[in-house]
Amino acid sequence: MSRNRTQAMLFVALLCLDLHARVGSAPICPHGHTGCHILSLADLFDRVIQHSARMHGLSSDLHSEFEQYFLPSKNHISRVYRKCHTSNILTPNGKENAQKLAREELTEVIMKLLMAWRDPLSQLHQSMAHQQDFNSFSSNKALEMSDMVHELRKGVEKVTEKMQLLGMISNSVSGLSSPEALLPASESGEALSDYELLYCFRRDSDKVQNYLKILKCRIVPEHGC
Amino acid sequence: MGISSGPKPFLTVGVLFILLSPATGFSAPGRPRVISCRSPEKETFTCWWEPGDDGGVIAFIFFLFFSSETIYECPDYKTAGENSCFFSKNDTSLWVNYNISVVASNDMGKSVSEPVEVDVVYIVQPNTPESVMVSVLEDNHGPYLRVDWEKPQSADTRSGWITLVYQLRVKQAKDETWEEYDAGMQKYYKVFSLHSGKEYMVQVRCKPDHGFWSEWTTPVYIQISEVLTNNCSRWAIIMYYKSIQTSRFFWQHFLGYLLLILVSYPQNGKSEEMFNALVIPGFPPTSTYEDLLVEYLEVYDDEKRELVLNEKNLIEGSMKSKSTSSDNDSGRGSCDSRTLLMEKCVDESGTEQELSQYGEASWASSDSEGRDNPASPGLEDGKVQMWPSVFSSPQSHNFQQQHPGGLRASHHSVPEISCVSPHVQTCCGQQDQLEGFQFSKPGLYRYAQMYSMDTIECKHVAQEPQSQSQSQSQSAEYVEVQTVNQENVLLVTPLSNPEGPNPELSDFSGEDYSKVRDVTSDNVLLLQRDLSVSQFVGDYCQDQIGQVDPCFLQQQQQEQTCKLNAHLHHPASTLQEDMRLAENGYVDTTMMMS
Repeated sequence: MSRNRTQAMLFVALLCLDLHARVGSAPICPHGHTGCHILSLADLFDRVIQHSARMHGLSSDLHSEFEQYFLPSKNHISRVYRKCHTSNILTPNGKENAQKLAREELTEVIMKLLMAWRDPLSQLHQSMAHQQDFNSFSSNKALEMSDMVHELRKGVEKVTEKMQLLGMISNSVSGLSSPEALLPASESGEALSDYELLYCFRRDSDKVQNYLKILKCRIVPEHGC
Repeated sequence: MGISSGPKPFLTVGVLFILLSPATGFSAPGRPRVISCRSPEKETFTCWWEPGDDGGVIAFIFFLFFSSETIYECPDYKTAGENSCFFSKNDTSLWVNYNISVVASNDMGKSVSEPVEVDVVYIVQPNTPESVMVSVLEDNHGPYLRVDWEKPQSADTRSGWITLVYQLRVKQAKDETWEEYDAGMQKYYKVFSLHSGKEYMVQVRCKPDHGFWSEWTTPVYIQISEVLTNNCSRWAIIMYYKSIQTSRFFWQHFLGYLLLILVSYPQNGKSEEMFNALVIPGFPPTSTYEDLLVEYLEVYDDEKRELVLNEKNLIEGSMKSKSTSSDNDSGRGSCDSRTLLMEKCVDESGTEQELSQYGEASWASSDSEGRDNPASPGLEDGKVQMWPSVFSSPQSHNFQQQHPGGLRASHHSVPEISCVSPHVQTCCGQQDQLEGFQFSKPGLYRYAQMYSMDTIECKHVAQEPQSQSQSQSQSAEYVEVQTVNQENVLLVTPLSNPEGPNPELSDFSGEDYSKVRDVTSDNVLLLQRDLSVSQFVGDYCQDQIGQVDPCFLQQQQQEQTCKLNAHLHHPASTLQEDMRLAENGYVDTTMMMS
């Protein structure tokens, strides 16, 4: 009697567990079919934010590696700062300014930043890969970073679409389809060096992460804000 | 525009000086120095300096790097106290480099400090957390502390502007070493494995995602009351129950209760614990679960054991994880024994110590059981095989809070079981801050990451513990899936894949399989890396880097550690000599690793 009960219990447990047993996952349905697992907007936001955190971490690592191994002196003044190629993009530089921006504007700023870095990062990776000074790890990080900005841009596009679908922002978010192919050149026309690129990207990736967080807490504030 | 008083007017273009009463020194003042700049909430910041010898009148100047022609003077010398400059919200811009210098001047001349560059985003050090409350609670295993706190008021986490992570530390008042625990973004924490009758100190601090740790809060002292060991009182109660059942005297029952009350009274009135103990009729529950295990193990066919084990593991795992919340010492021992693998990945030193003790004890016990009792090899196998099921079963996540800290670490050390050099494992502990594994891209970036962690980031942690190390927590293990099952996400990784950002590799992301190359004489399975993967990886190495050697060297190292790990984690007793491989020559490595 108890053995039957035990086996029944195990069978029920097996049924419950089998759904979670496999490492594979439920499909994400693009069109909202029943039976598959739909990601909520909060989930999407969490994803892109984690993604951007990872991207910023990589850029920080690379930047500090550069500083450690390639810059002889810690004297910051000796470095000549030229403007980043993204300086033309108007970005809020404080909390109030960021909060004053409308949701659509904030989303646009994020997208512009991400798009502006697509080409420069792949160029950076190429340049790092061909130099003997870099070990394979840095070059891999650069490649990862380059892919990541690509992925993040797609992620933010998805988030934007979802927001538009849910009516949270208007459909006026432009600039998504027109890639502003900004080449990383300073005002004087010369290409920015690897170090300068990293410096600029570290800053921009932090901006992206911050803006995404603000956007998330504005739109889906109930999830961890 | 400058005001001069004295025979030598200062004529520096664009510099504003405030000269009050110049000190009449005999020489130019000594060089001042900017000590530090900090921002508590990423909206304002303050810089402090110290004057050099001979004082002099100090002017604090700065310029913003993109327009170095325009030099500004400190907007507020007062608010933050002496020798400080305070930048209010209106004066603070983020993602802009402030180039700061302090100038000391007197009649005889001036001296300028070493300039300091500041980007406010990277100098954030929050105020301490507030309202730290500590309470002593009880569960089946004994007393534990629950610590609650609030974020510092100045930090605006609600709007997402700043994200704080917390850390707490606990020690006995008389001890010297603290045990630190990472609480992630949550504002409470439970500390287990405490000793009764001792006084503990608790402190909390916080840190923004990249920035500096705040100061520790003032310590909270908490006394765990002296309790006659729970076991003692419990056994007393059991004896009473048994005696009551046998004698069946109503008045004796009554007397029994009275005596119990008298016995428990010196326990500072913990009456609820007494009543809890009284209402456990089935105490101890050990027998029930062991019966389940024994019955279950008799069902399946020995010969096909390895094929079905994957599924059965999960059932056992869920059973076992449930049993750990009860007072089942033997079960709990084997549950914790997986820490042999986890030891290096556990960040919290406190739980690590506790778990490793369990681990070693249970290894010894499970070994001996296997040898002495050949009649039920399954039982011992069942206990050991519980490991991967606990790892792979997401149910374990639900039991984390009850089990003393151990399962929490297991949740994210899943991939590290596979053939990975132990060096990498030590650095992966940072990962525990990422609660949701909603990303995992099969292997690509993760292994690139693992290599970099192996050589560069580990060194980083050693060299720069304060400012740069926060980036480590960001760049810890992070994988991305194309599809996500929200509750039950696992890190899906191929066995070991050093490089290769190619979608082909995603084929290997599904399950943790590897081909068995050989079984050595002392029952060790040597796993073979999939040839096609390594060839591809080799090609990629050649392509991108132009050097073949470093890649292959690392691969060889990986293979050697593969062997090593296989040997370390598979004591002979768990692999039966007559163990047969499944038909296609593959062995499920998750099972293997038990």
